Amino acid sequence: MARNAEFGKRIRKLREERKKVDPQFSLRRFAETAGISATFLSKVETGEFDPPAPDKIKRMAELLGEDPDELLALAGRVDPELPEIIREQPKAMADFLRTARDASVSDEQIEAFTQMLRTMNKGKGR
Amino acid sequence: MLTVKFLSEGQIEKAAMQLMAGHVAKFGPVSPPVPVDEILECHLGLSFGIEDLREYGPDVLGATWLQTGRVAVDQSLDPSTFPDKEGRYRFTLAHELGHFELHAHQLRDNGQATLFTESNHPTIVCRSSAKREPIEWQADQFAAQLLMPREMVYTYWRELFGDRPYVAVDEIARLSERFGSTNRKAPTVSVARDMADHFAVSGQAMQIRLETLGLIRTKPAEPELF
Repeated sequence: MARNAEFGKRIRKLREERKKVDPQFSLRRFAETAGISATFLSKVETGEFDPPAPDKIKRMAELLGEDPDELLALAGRVDPELPEIIREQPKAMADFLRTARDASVSDEQIEAFTQMLRTMNKGKGR
Repeated sequence: MLTVKFLSEGQIEKAAMQLMAGHVAKFGPVSPPVPVDEILECHLGLSFGIEDLREYGPDVLGATWLQTGRVAVDQSLDPSTFPDKEGRYRFTLAHELGHFELHAHQLRDNGQATLFTESNHPTIVCRSSAKREPIEWQADQFAAQLLMPREMVYTYWRELFGDRPYVAVDEIARLSERFGSTNRKAPTVSVARDMADHFAVSGQAMQIRLETLGLIRTKPAEPELF
């Protein structure tokens, strides 16, 4: 059994809801578009295998119209883009993340701060 | 062994074509190869998996859970890993669909569908070696009719060869001579192999269907009676 069967259950549920109206969500077509074998997807869904690599999970999220970070979190995986982001500004970004962790900020506070940064970003674009 | 009532080929064909019509009504026209995965998953909304079915026996290719609406095909047939199994994979899926369309009601009505519900064992386990049981024969007929519908086969045959059937007696004799005749099955002739690709079935399945429809003759013509 996989260490975490919740990811597979979630994927099967999302796929089964969608397949009844759109054939691209059948097991075989969905697996093919996500870049994995049908057997592998089937076994991930039943919890026999661990979730696939992060890039495949992101592709699945895109196909299903779901939040990639949420599915990555459910799979216990980290977006491969994140280490790259830290490497771009190693000192400042590491400091920023550690400070946030040490301050024990809540998810809501992080979300509010993210929203503020987004607004600042939009302002820059004008 | 599960028992089912007798069904004629005509009754089985009608059931297969009704299923196809239901799919077409929801998802639009179908051309070969018949989208058997989608009929099972999207039209009927059954749960489908490709799994290791060896726990049910060494030669199990497909399994059906009637009560929970679930079908599984053995992983040895996954065409994304074994492309040459495409025909077998599709035939097995269509065969399991046959159990749902032809047998689910009967087995529910007489209580046979709930025999294994508690142990989570499949209601019907399909082995490559059990083709002679009536329930399995009927499901095979259903699969052939669904994957190679009469009208689609005739239409494609006409495009390729016109209106004449092919008398394959000489070709079969040549093939048997070259490859030996130890195999009980007749060798697959080239027209069946060509058409098999179009319908994404095995050459053997295509040949049997073409013989049934009178498009390939594998035996010399009967002498005139009068």
